[in-house]
Amino acid sequence: MSEANSTMKQVTPDTAVQNSADGKYDAVIVGSGISGAITAKELTAKGFNVLMLEAAPAKDMTYKGFRSYLSTYYANASKDNNSPYPDNPNARMPRSTDVSKLKPGVVDAKGYLVQNGPLALDSTYTRVTGGTTMHWEAKILRMLPDDFAIKSTYGVGLDWPINYEDLMPYYQLAEREIGVSANVEEQGFYGIKYEPDYVYPMHGLPPSYLDKLVAQGVDGTEFELAGETHTVKVRPFPQGRNGVPNARYNDGQGFKPVGALSTYQVEQGGRCQGNNNCVPICPVQAKYDARKTLTAAAKTGRLDFLPQAVASKVVVNEHDNSIKHIEFKHYSSTNSTEHTVHQVQGKRFILATNAIENARLMLASQLPSSSGLMGKNLMDHTYLLAWGLLPQAAGTMRGTKCTSGIADFRYGASRKTQAPFGVDIHNDGWGWATGSPFSDVETLVDEENKFGRELRQSVVDRISNQLLFAFMVEQPAQESNCVTVDNKYLDALGNQRPIINYQLSDYSKAGIAYSRHTSKVFFQRLGAQDYSKYSPLDYGYFSHEGEDYYFRGGNHFSGTHVMGTSALNSVVDENQKAWDHNNLYLIGSGSMPSIGTSNTTLTLAALCYKTSEHIIEELSRYSVGVVMDSDYKMAKGAENE
Amino acid sequence: MTNQAYQIQQFIELSGALTDFNAYSLNGTGQVQSYYDTLTRIVGCVMVDELLSIFAAIYEAATDHEAFNEALRKHIIGNEKFGPVARNIIKLWYTGTWYQMAQFWRETYGMSDEDVTFFVSSASYAEGLLWQAIDANPSGAKGPGYGSWSLPPSINFDNCWQFKPFNHTS
Repeated sequence: MSEANSTMKQVTPDTAVQNSADGKYDAVIVGSGISGAITAKELTAKGFNVLMLEAAPAKDMTYKGFRSYLSTYYANASKDNNSPYPDNPNARMPRSTDVSKLKPGVVDAKGYLVQNGPLALDSTYTRVTGGTTMHWEAKILRMLPDDFAIKSTYGVGLDWPINYEDLMPYYQLAEREIGVSANVEEQGFYGIKYEPDYVYPMHGLPPSYLDKLVAQGVDGTEFELAGETHTVKVRPFPQGRNGVPNARYNDGQGFKPVGALSTYQVEQGGRCQGNNNCVPICPVQAKYDARKTLTAAAKTGRLDFLPQAVASKVVVNEHDNSIKHIEFKHYSSTNSTEHTVHQVQGKRFILATNAIENARLMLASQLPSSSGLMGKNLMDHTYLLAWGLLPQAAGTMRGTKCTSGIADFRYGASRKTQAPFGVDIHNDGWGWATGSPFSDVETLVDEENKFGRELRQSVVDRISNQLLFAFMVEQPAQESNCVTVDNKYLDALGNQRPIINYQLSDYSKAGIAYSRHTSKVFFQRLGAQDYSKYSPLDYGYFSHEGEDYYFRGGNHFSGTHVMGTSALNSVVDENQKAWDHNNLYLIGSGSMPSIGTSNTTLTLAALCYKTSEHIIEELSRYSVGVVMDSDYKMAKGAENE
Repeated sequence: MTNQAYQIQQFIELSGALTDFNAYSLNGTGQVQSYYDTLTRIVGCVMVDELLSIFAAIYEAATDHEAFNEALRKHIIGNEKFGPVARNIIKLWYTGTWYQMAQFWRETYGMSDEDVTFFVSSASYAEGLLWQAIDANPSGAKGPGYGSWSLPPSINFDNCWQFKPFNHTS
């Protein structure tokens, strides 16, 4: 018996089909990323039986399997955000290295995502057990209260059917599950509020030396924007990685961090050690990934896990449009496309793949939603990078990828005319923009002909002094940005691949342009040399009011099955239940009508807690003897405060 | 001393002069043998012999570090045959990566099938000297510990390579 099998109850397709036919499953969940994992953990904790389909193999659940990711990463000449994860032709994933400049009118199908343009989007997700939390950075911000009503407040994008207050108790649950390190007194700004006496599970991570240098230079800078003064302050980010537990957490009960996953003792998964490699893989598992939640679900004994099962079709009952079963293709090896086709069912069906794959699967099943909105309103955060050299060694390339940033452009009246943005100070220097530090060594040796002491000194000056700002710009919902499918583009198993149709609006471009303006002021105040360059040859290039820019995707795919107030304006309701199908839930960032200037994971995780609570209430009508646990006491208690 | 042991000692000295890291640092990476093997496998023993002989001659003739560096630049770094090899040795040490030689070099001096860009090993990535130079850990390995990033880096040249004039009387 393998290590994995001893914690995860893996089932064969035949067993799953038999159990389905016997009515065993309360829920069938597709996808083992954070959304699926949280829902599975909540449901199984309440005594419900769950079948989970995962497109990838399950070796990732073992310590040995995890180490093999790390070896792949070290030896891979490319260090892109999916580089530790082996290619699987049966469940391919997007890679940024597949993206190149599009020619007008020419579809680029060389990567997994079919790029229909006009702009190429280099965002990715990871199709492995644990999903994209395997490569995520784990910066874990709450959205601003304003972000939930941008249509009614600023006249752009879409409003949510719920607000910040509605999500507050679920934010707490998500912060506990992920194990967030942050100091609450540093995070309550621009409307973000917390329950009285709330503290995060762990204390905030110390800011980097680089953060401190930047703060000395830019704190207090004032910008006049739309009649308001924005005063800059460098602030630490909440982090989804282990720090020092806060003894005051949970009314003084404290918090126990979850370490590395293994069935035998490993000295890993404690506090962040500063490996500076959160993306694409934390080598010591100090960073949260969804396997931690999945393992907890598995320990209940009520989770049947079926890997190498790629959901291929959602089939409805004609009489009431409810879901009849989910069809999946099971392959026995990643070296062969040979597969078998099966059907499974449960009382509830939950699609938890991700914003792209959820929409792709529904569209491939010819279920475009009566709203017509399935796959539409595709959003991502658009990033502008600006990079320069500080006049002194800043210790760049140390710490987690990013410990601090600037939140002072995330709010305000300017949101009527230009996109707001958050700012990240990157502890990994120019890596994202230029391939540093390797590219710097190549330049110094091959182009600048340096060797010996001169080289060594130049390596210090060129790398340790690096500063990169990543401006994370909000993209509001726009129906023309969308995922579609076409029988022309199929994967190895014959499933339709996602086609990405993507453009930036003038609203986005204006926000990006303004972010570039702020970078220039920051560099001036820091005495930094500005090295930023935006070549017309770059795949993300665009020009705005005569200036050159490029953008990078933020890997925050969302909006493809938005929630709303009715079947006319949305695909799902506030509980992420499909308006069209009374036993189907589409969960994850695809449900978000707007994404503000917060990385999406905390909010989508909070939504999954809300959805789980709703599903449990619905399922409880069928069954008796469901236990209350502390999760729901906590959520309910917080609501009553 | 066997011929290979001598060659490796010379390889360490050449590497030291090119990278500014002393023999203790280079040996400390555990990569000397595998880099030497990689080099000889790809460019051939004859070329490595020639390169090390020229290096020995330069070292022997030089009277001080400045003169040594000037000769090294002229006869190795600026030599169309040995320059690309020397630059690859530098990059090998700094990054753990063997970079494919330029096309003109491959056509003139031989194309090994193994001459592609690759990390010599998982360990070689983590042993890149660039990280030591900037007092950082290699991204993804050798985590220095919680909160260490909050302190200024300690950048110094205590383990630098030093030219020692050749003693002609010994």
